[in-house]
Amino acid sequence: MNLRIIRALLKKDVKLFLNNRFYLLITILGIVFYVGAYMVLPAKQNETLRMALYAPQLPAAFLQVFGHQGFEVERFQNRDALKQAVAERAHQVGIALPEDISSVWAAGQKPQIDIFHTAGTPPEMIAAVTRLVEELSFIQTGQVLAFSIQPEILGPDMLGDQIPLRDRLRPLLVVFILLVEIMTLASLISIEIEQGTVRALLITPLRMPGLFAAKGILGAGLAFLQGVLFMLLVGGFNQSPLIVLTTLFLCSLFVVGAAFLLASLSRDVNAVTGWGLLVLIILAVPGFGAAIPGLLPAWIKIVPSYYLTDTLNRVINYAQGWQDIWLNLLIIAVLAVVLIWGGMLALRRRYQ
Amino acid sequence: MLETSIAVENLSYQYGRFKAVDDISFTVASGEILGFLGPNGSGKTTTLKMLTGQLIPQQGRVLILGHDVTKATALVRSRIGVSFEQTNLYEQMSALENLALFADLFNVKNFDGYGLLKRVGLTGREKDKVSGYSKGMKQRLMIARSIVNSPSVIFMDEPTAGLDPVSSETIGNIILEEQARGATIFLTTHDMWEADKLCQRVAFINQGKLVALDSPHNLKQRFGKRKLVAEIAKPAGGLEKREIEMDSAATASSMEALFSQEKIITLHSAEATLEEIFIQITGQRLRQ
Repeated sequence: MNLRIIRALLKKDVKLFLNNRFYLLITILGIVFYVGAYMVLPAKQNETLRMALYAPQLPAAFLQVFGHQGFEVERFQNRDALKQAVAERAHQVGIALPEDISSVWAAGQKPQIDIFHTAGTPPEMIAAVTRLVEELSFIQTGQVLAFSIQPEILGPDMLGDQIPLRDRLRPLLVVFILLVEIMTLASLISIEIEQGTVRALLITPLRMPGLFAAKGILGAGLAFLQGVLFMLLVGGFNQSPLIVLTTLFLCSLFVVGAAFLLASLSRDVNAVTGWGLLVLIILAVPGFGAAIPGLLPAWIKIVPSYYLTDTLNRVINYAQGWQDIWLNLLIIAVLAVVLIWGGMLALRRRYQ
Repeated sequence: MLETSIAVENLSYQYGRFKAVDDISFTVASGEILGFLGPNGSGKTTTLKMLTGQLIPQQGRVLILGHDVTKATALVRSRIGVSFEQTNLYEQMSALENLALFADLFNVKNFDGYGLLKRVGLTGREKDKVSGYSKGMKQRLMIARSIVNSPSVIFMDEPTAGLDPVSSETIGNIILEEQARGATIFLTTHDMWEADKLCQRVAFINQGKLVALDSPHNLKQRFGKRKLVAEIAKPAGGLEKREIEMDSAATASSMEALFSQEKIITLHSAEATLEEIFIQITGQRLRQ
């Protein structure tokens, strides 16, 4: 492979990219929009615990604590009303005390206390409420674990709600920025085929590997730089920057492979746009799983981009390390290699 | 003895069951301009693709400057230039940028973009985006691109098709200049007048087969009919055109009748055109 030739092609492609006002505009607007969206989202989660309570008889200890700041307690007349309020997310947690709680305690038995929570209620909040009930029961009865607890999840299971929404959206946004580059690169390739300029290139000393290398470097470079820029602006490198950089790099390679395939399968630029949007939507879906845990079914793992958003989510939002996400990175790397290889084979046929 | 720049041996290619090129062989000497003529679908473009290494021959071989195109592709491509029939320039770049890109790809030292653009009549428009160029300007830029590396062999596919006379003449002059520089030129064209004017030899291809290959003069001698064309005044007014074949048994009596009985206004000799010869050989016109 001749570096001089690749440099010449890169210079040309960057020039074409910059000369195309549409690509330039959507790239800049994309970054501005995503960073803007991140900035306008609330930076902190509301710490006030909104709690629903069904308690025909409210023990004194409970009454005293629930009156304090930091609790927002609404009492309900029956269990069904309480469950509905929790399911509708009007309250994060619901506690239902049995009607005969005082007499059960008096008889030396353990009453059953039900804790209802929404799927999005973070586990630490459930644990805190459980602990609170334990403490209050101890204050009330002087006994440890003077009750049996029955937690019940209402709706889909969604973990990790404690992290501010905008931080949970970061993996989705950055992966989306990178995925848009699939369409940009595929369009550039498709235009070359459509306008016949690739024929002119390929009757020079340039060989196919050089052409693929130049396109790959351009696509990966554009995607990677945008990803890094976004993450810099939204504090995405606060946790394990090396892993984040590695993930963005592998994601950029994935983008190149997907773009090669998309360009080879599309007859013209319009087809690139049509197919590209479909691909983009499918690949963006796993990102919502990172934003709203528990929202998506387990089979979403068959969508390759799941491993990108999952890795970034676990690293930047849950401070996980290499030992936790190495398998994800390996899967992304293998997927990227397979896509690039398959894309080059398919494109080679198109070029010929 | 002239060196051979292009040697084609038993070249064949078929798409499915359709034989696009059927066992053709010919050579082109260094510094020669060869016109490759044929109607649409006759196999011109397929041949050109095999000659430039864009298509691998299914049978036979092509030697450019002594090198097999399929084996020494990179070396061959560094010494050839190709001008395509369809415009395929980077429209969002300027003419200068287009040429500079290809100069980089060919590793041309001391590249003079302005000088090259001056040769093809694009002075003053060097930095304009190609998308704003007329068809003739684009074609002239394509010609400039094909000679950016001062190639030893230049392939031109319909370089003047659909162009205005000024652009056609400019391109014709460039072709002659390149020949004077020592380049060999393989020219496919529909334009018989252009082929007659520029080419030392012309090859007729029809249905994938090479049906004739010789100089235009020899082809006219061999296949054409010499004739006299006279314009004579009609008694009722107006002019009548009359043709007399020079080599028939009735030539003498026809001439005598013409001179003794008619009032001749103009009289000149005429020879067959390449178009007429092509029709005579193949039974069909070049442009269909």
